Amino acid sequence: MRPQINRLPDTAPKGFAGGAIDRSRPLRFRLDGRIISGFAGDTVLSAALASGIDTLGTHEGRPIGLTLRANPAIIHASLANDPQRALPMARTPALDGAELITLGARRSGPIARLFRPGRTLGLPLDLSHCLDRPWRSMTGRPEEHRDLVVVGGGVAGLSAALAGARAGLSVLLIEAQTELGGMSGLFGTQDGEDSPEDSMARLAADVRASDAITVWPGSRVFALRRGLLRVHRVETVNGAIHGRVIDVPANHIVLATGSLERLPIFAGNRLPGVTGSLEAFELARNFGVWPGQSCVVATSSNPAYRLAMLAADAGVAVGRIMDTRPQAASRFIEFSRAYGIIQSPGTVPVLASMSRSGPALSVKTDRADAPPLPADRLIVCGGWQPDLTLWHVAGGKSHWRADRHRIEALGPCDGLVLAGSAAGYLTRRGCIQSGADAIDQVLGRSRRPVEDTTIDPIYESPDAPASLGTEMDEATQAYLDGGTGLLQRPAPARTKLAWPTRRRPVTHPAISEAPQPLAICDVAAGVDLGLIPPEAAGVVAQERVTMVPLGATDSAPDHATPMPTPTDTQVPAYLAGRFGPDARVVRLTLKEARAIEPGALIYRSSDASHPIRAIGVVLRQRGHATFALVSARALSTGLPVSIRERGQVLSARLEAV
Amino acid sequence: MSQAEFDFAVFGSTPLAHLLAGLLAGAHGRTVVHIGESAAGYRLPRGIDLSVAPVTRPDTWSILTDTLPETLKLISQIAGRGGWGRVDPIYFADDEAAREALSHIGHMAAGFGLAIEPTAPSLLGGGRNGITIRDAIRLNRPLLEPALDRWLTRSGVTRSTPDAVTIQADGRTELQSGETALVARQAILADDESIARWLPLRQWPKLLHRQHSASVLTTPTRSLASPLMVELDSGVTLLQQPEGGIAAFGQGRLASFSAHVQALLGHDRQVEQAGQTTFTALHTSDGGPAVGRVDGTGADVVAGMGSFGAFIVPALARWLAGKASTEENAWFGARLANRSGTAGPASEFAAPLEGVAS
Repeated sequence: MRPQINRLPDTAPKGFAGGAIDRSRPLRFRLDGRIISGFAGDTVLSAALASGIDTLGTHEGRPIGLTLRANPAIIHASLANDPQRALPMARTPALDGAELITLGARRSGPIARLFRPGRTLGLPLDLSHCLDRPWRSMTGRPEEHRDLVVVGGGVAGLSAALAGARAGLSVLLIEAQTELGGMSGLFGTQDGEDSPEDSMARLAADVRASDAITVWPGSRVFALRRGLLRVHRVETVNGAIHGRVIDVPANHIVLATGSLERLPIFAGNRLPGVTGSLEAFELARNFGVWPGQSCVVATSSNPAYRLAMLAADAGVAVGRIMDTRPQAASRFIEFSRAYGIIQSPGTVPVLASMSRSGPALSVKTDRADAPPLPADRLIVCGGWQPDLTLWHVAGGKSHWRADRHRIEALGPCDGLVLAGSAAGYLTRRGCIQSGADAIDQVLGRSRRPVEDTTIDPIYESPDAPASLGTEMDEATQAYLDGGTGLLQRPAPARTKLAWPTRRRPVTHPAISEAPQPLAICDVAAGVDLGLIPPEAAGVVAQERVTMVPLGATDSAPDHATPMPTPTDTQVPAYLAGRFGPDARVVRLTLKEARAIEPGALIYRSSDASHPIRAIGVVLRQRGHATFALVSARALSTGLPVSIRERGQVLSARLEAV
Repeated sequence: MSQAEFDFAVFGSTPLAHLLAGLLAGAHGRTVVHIGESAAGYRLPRGIDLSVAPVTRPDTWSILTDTLPETLKLISQIAGRGGWGRVDPIYFADDEAAREALSHIGHMAAGFGLAIEPTAPSLLGGGRNGITIRDAIRLNRPLLEPALDRWLTRSGVTRSTPDAVTIQADGRTELQSGETALVARQAILADDESIARWLPLRQWPKLLHRQHSASVLTTPTRSLASPLMVELDSGVTLLQQPEGGIAAFGQGRLASFSAHVQALLGHDRQVEQAGQTTFTALHTSDGGPAVGRVDGTGADVVAGMGSFGAFIVPALARWLAGKASTEENAWFGARLANRSGTAGPASEFAAPLEGVAS
């Protein structure tokens, strides 16, 4: 059995003991034959991470970290031959006694398993479909109609659901996590606000108390159009976990899908141990999971400083905080300085690599004179990108906001309203108010202004663009995003000869050549790297979103209109005028009975072969008759002609039809 | 407000438009302003540049084969060997009318010396017929376009991103970009997007029809019979990329186009859409190319060239510059944009147009 080496103690302060787990109810299950221990409330993924499994597999020979955004589908071992019943690792509750396997992994026998590194799921990520979500190809079971569906159970979604219920609507709230409340906790408190935990708990309690609101936790919307959503829902029924695909018709849809954390771009940014600040916060707060004893932080945004302090409170040694901004100001920066955490403003990581001994990672910065930083974990934050994935799926437009270094929604989208940070709001107060504002919009009521006042930049510096490390190390490539796409930064042109046997990274000279869908963070990174012009970012993000045809389009007819079958003597338009204005349709009489292919060219003599000199062409064979189109002069001479077909020359006579 | 006057304003973002602008300036000494952004690096494909095409007219094959070496030399000078590659495209057909056309195309291509092979029906499925044309040349747009941009600069072509464009009845055009105005004596609209966007409705030729079109990218799947396949019946082009994803584009609205592509790929393939977009393509009533001044006096258009347009640009540039050979003059003269559009010497096989009586 794997011990829970990455679980913080139950005495960890500031909520880092894991609010979702019940430590009094331990459990065990098998994953790919390994016994994993955890607690009630764990997901399969959180239990695996707590047990030290931190590697998804290898991509082009390099390990890739197992994360909340990059994890495989799993399936009960007894259903291994029915992949459509697979479940998402991050949304599936861990159950005692379950026997699970990962989809996409190469199956290995017990002996081989003995020699497999204990920290990896062993997925061959070079195979394009090993991170597929098989349920995406399933059609949905119709569900009862709702007045309002709110996607996202953060503060904005909770607020929207409550406002919808107050307006007399039947509301369905869909949340991917098992808990409501979202991730406001990472961002702290502004003057005049209550604590994020209080705020989230109050809204969540109000939602649970409302008879008009149905909550689907552990559910993810993956297809959407006006009036219809397709949801994958993970449920526990009679002690067993099931996944269902459900189509939910709705009058109104509010998307409160929050923001995604951008991944700074540097070599080694997907190694095991490199983690986004939001993910680190989420794992610690919900599950008490924090791999390693030490970390360094690389950020371009202030909340990472808050995370560093929370980690320090939980006993993690925070070695250093690097900030791309040379003169950033923040209350969190001041507080973390008081914690004694070393700060390196104007510094970015350029290379992370796995250590052979000591702490797991070695982090090289752009300071030439600075030695590499050893750490068990590298916490990174490249800023925040509103999650507009479903907005784009539904046809919503967006554009690049240069002042905020991100893509934001543009204009309305029929039947759909955004709320919270997905709509571009920056403060918790703004997000909560935007939830109510979204309901005013969908009901056509007069809108009230949303207060989204941020602290003066003199005191709270805005985010900087995600850092772009310049060092290109072939052995540790840089990825554009932390999701399942594994799209790499295009490598610069090679100037040195390489060993022919050495495998080269698969990089695309152009982002259009990448065969995978582009996550919105890929597109934002593409803008930062100059691969996508800023003015095209919105259209590219919409164009490259992965889409499942839904509803009316499921049964869309094949669009090819059958063409009428030509009659025996019909001359197709593409032969009009070819042999003069008086060309005639004739019947060919060959010495030997045989069929001739349409298009075979007819010449005056066997010496001629250039198509320009052809005097006719075979139209078609019908039964024993061969019809041809010839020049009027060819027919009038009454002489035999030569037909060229596949290198053969055949003699034939022309007979008027 | 400054104002500069050019001989030509060439509109278009395709390699054809870039090459045309560069040749008019570099080879024919004209002053040229070019309007068009290279987008192949980040947008889904809406077309390809191929040295062969589903063409039944011998004069078209003749001009294509004559111009190919010149074009290839030019491309190699501009972008090196990476600017183009070889491919064995498969053209296939289902309906009898399309099968007949396919057979005509195959015989014509063979007549011009191309290696043609029938495609095994087992590779196509559904009782379809197909031919493989060996050693066709395909331009590599993502690599070529940045090189074309640099070449245009070297050739002395002015680049413009105008806020407003006015094309007058005599083809004269004015480009307004902020406080700067550029004037060109003749506008050349050299791709579908620029024609649809800039050509005044009063100059719109009856020959040209806007068609809903779509482009779809799938996640990687097993290999197609060829990396490049074209269904004649519908005009759908399937393009398999090195890592297995399939880009498909052609006529139709997105939903039905997507369903048709899935049907062509076979429902046993587990693919998802990794990208999709819609756009407007222009098709001619008779399926043939359309060049020259609309209404005889207005802007020049270049439309309906299909995949081979970029390969005859040297001839097109000569024609526009008044230096074409007799054969070239005859070819372009037979394909003027102001022709009636009824069946005639320029007609080619084409998929039925939506909303246009056949």
